[in-house]
Amino acid sequence: MADEKGSRFRKLAAFWARTACFAVLLSAVLAYVGYVIIPKHDYGICSMVNLYRQKKNTVDVLVVGTSIAYAGVNTSVLWREQGIAAYDLCSAEQPFWVSYYTLREALKTQRPRLVLLDAKPAIYTRDYPTRGRVILSTFSILSPENRWGAIRSCVETDGEALRYLLMYPRLHSEYTDVTWNNFRLPPDNGGRGDAWKGFIEVDEVEQHSRPSFVWNSVRRPINQREEEYARRIFELCREENIPVLLVCMPNPDYANDHMYMNYLWSVAEEYGVTGINYNEPSLRYGLRYSSDFADWQHLNVKGSITFSKRLGEDLKAMFDLPDRRDDADYASYEESAAAWFDRYLTFESIGEAVRE
Amino acid sequence: MSILTLEFLGFAAALVLVYYLAPLRARPLVLLAASGAFVACAGWQSAAHLAAAALLTWGGALGLAALRQRPRLRGCLLAVLLTLLLGTMAFIKYEDVLSSLLKADLWRLAAPLGLSYFTFQSTGYLIDVSRGKAQTAKNPLRALLFVGYFAQLPQGPISAWKELEPQLSTGHRLEPENLVAGFQLMAWGYFKKLVIADRLLPTTDALLSGEALPGWFVLGGVALYALRLYADFSGGMDVVRGLSRMLGVTLPENFRRPFFARSVAEYWRRWHITLGAWFRAYLLYPLSASRAGVGLSRLAGRAIGKKAGRTLPSALATLLVFLLIGVWHMASWNAVVYGGYFGLVMAASMLLEPVWKTMQRTLRLPKKGWMTPLRILRTILLILPAQYFAFTAGPEQGFSLLRQTFAGWNFTGFGERLTAVMPALEWIIAAAAALVLLAVDLLCEHVKDFGGRLARGTVLIRWPLLILLIAAVLVFGCYGTGYDASAFLYTQF
Repeated sequence: MADEKGSRFRKLAAFWARTACFAVLLSAVLAYVGYVIIPKHDYGICSMVNLYRQKKNTVDVLVVGTSIAYAGVNTSVLWREQGIAAYDLCSAEQPFWVSYYTLREALKTQRPRLVLLDAKPAIYTRDYPTRGRVILSTFSILSPENRWGAIRSCVETDGEALRYLLMYPRLHSEYTDVTWNNFRLPPDNGGRGDAWKGFIEVDEVEQHSRPSFVWNSVRRPINQREEEYARRIFELCREENIPVLLVCMPNPDYANDHMYMNYLWSVAEEYGVTGINYNEPSLRYGLRYSSDFADWQHLNVKGSITFSKRLGEDLKAMFDLPDRRDDADYASYEESAAAWFDRYLTFESIGEAVRE
Repeated sequence: MSILTLEFLGFAAALVLVYYLAPLRARPLVLLAASGAFVACAGWQSAAHLAAAALLTWGGALGLAALRQRPRLRGCLLAVLLTLLLGTMAFIKYEDVLSSLLKADLWRLAAPLGLSYFTFQSTGYLIDVSRGKAQTAKNPLRALLFVGYFAQLPQGPISAWKELEPQLSTGHRLEPENLVAGFQLMAWGYFKKLVIADRLLPTTDALLSGEALPGWFVLGGVALYALRLYADFSGGMDVVRGLSRMLGVTLPENFRRPFFARSVAEYWRRWHITLGAWFRAYLLYPLSASRAGVGLSRLAGRAIGKKAGRTLPSALATLLVFLLIGVWHMASWNAVVYGGYFGLVMAASMLLEPVWKTMQRTLRLPKKGWMTPLRILRTILLILPAQYFAFTAGPEQGFSLLRQTFAGWNFTGFGERLTAVMPALEWIIAAAAALVLLAVDLLCEHVKDFGGRLARGTVLIRWPLLILLIAAVLVFGCYGTGYDASAFLYTQF
């Protein structure tokens, strides 16, 4: 009887040991397969992926925001003109709640002298994003608490967040877009190289005219969740003792945004946060609405250069930002700028970007 | 709770854990509690209906056993019980038809989860008790678990008391082989349902579009519907059988590679096996052996010969049974055509069997060898016409598609027509998955207890296969974002 019990115990122990090994193996395979099917777009996860590859504490200006920011804040121009070490930590349609968690994650490895916050999400009216790509952008966050926080903030229920966290229920149909590039470990960032600073050029030209609106101070309340997370960002930066600059990017469609921006500015003032609205009619710095936009809201390559020159001057005037051009720790900025200027040679002469 | 949801997987994992952590004697109670929770998820009406049916079955069985010495009274009681159980099922299933026939608004009853399956199971049990072939239980909870065992509610199988109840009322010790084999079967079931059946959904929709289609497209679409139905139904069955196996409960097989059948009769012994067995045991055999059947046999024997005369009552009973099977599926003329077609084919094959045997002898046709694939092909060709009426809205649509099959076989725009249904990549995945299904079915057909052997065999083969299977289900399965995983086709019955 005792022998039988002992034999059964040994049999079960061996079974559970095998089961544990199988579970580990299965988890490893599924984690890799899940990694493969995650879309690796430069407008999605890539700026966060690449931030982890930056040397620790080598970002002086961390730009956090939407596609308008990554298409407008040209890090190569900021570097070449002013020696500012800036990084665009942005993704398409990124709301403040995702910005909050990406910022928290970024502060684990970087200690920026300034956080440049794109004001665009102030006009987003929805409580939750309807497009999956906004949530997919959070998949690059490595730390579990920030990743869960970012995903959880994007969806209404824990169950839905769990589905995103488990990846497969929400991601598996992406297998249709898998290329050999998806299998690379560590992930490739669209062939941009480790030195890339998050700027994504939009190489199109669309004719627009300067927005016509009354520069008043009428406020229109922004979405409550956007406001809540904007406040959280301001509080986080205050706790970390990092100044924030709120920036409203130039935009041909700005007339519709103005009252929301007034509201956000008033919220920012509560925290002593300053801001620059580049749509202010009196601000003239050579931006042409007829040739400097790629569409109704994104600056094109030429526009990004004109805008970033002015932004660099403003940043230099307002904040104590060192010129890093002779610092060996910042060599990747020169590498990134050189590669970029090599590709876009003739932008000034013909008024639009021309690829080499 | 659909077995396709994350919630069900959580439920299954928690059930297996709690079941084996509970003391051996308490394990049946764990099953009962789990079944209660499962039914409660479908709404209180479902739970109340099922509990009432179970109590009626339990009390009825005790009554029938008590009247063992009084056959007339026992017969009357059985008739009352069957009328109550089957009548309620018929009333709920055919409420719409009854309303339109009577031109009156009838009292609407919500269809409880697994109505047909627990009704057939209960009535089968009561008939067995009446025939003295099944025991009764003093404890009503045993009857409640037998009737309401969660795994069989979504779409069967229909089990007999003597096979299922002893397994449910006994606690099972944890056996590694059961856990492994059950897990394998569940994964395989999800593969069939999510990777094959749901992927083929657009091919059926394309047939129902109403546009003029070339013959090859219609025939291919109908054949894919048959494959889809098989993958859907047997996949769901594998999931619940796998989970039951993990709990030490062996549910009867409901599908045994039906497309390898060499005759239509064999097909029905391989397709929805437990439903066929129920109709054979409780309707076909009693009808054939009834006084009317014997009388008809004598009469027909005088008119058409002794042999054919003996077969005629069975053939007519078969026709009736298949009509009933058809009508059980749905209350529509399509069901009558579907059941009637199979009934006629079966009756004809029974009556013509002597002719076929003579032909076989004369032409010296072998029973096995090269004739086997031909007989399989013949069976498939005989099965396909019925499928035209299984998914269409009415006989007109079914006959219209049948006409289109023979109307024109124009292959121009072959590729474009296929990619209009679904992208090329989806066709490739569907074809690869169907080939995997064929390979596994071939293995199961030729290797006895293939699943058990794999579960007992070396991990060097099992683990890679299982990991591949799970990854395939997770990546290529039709679920989650971008898909509206269709419910199991058979849950509606």
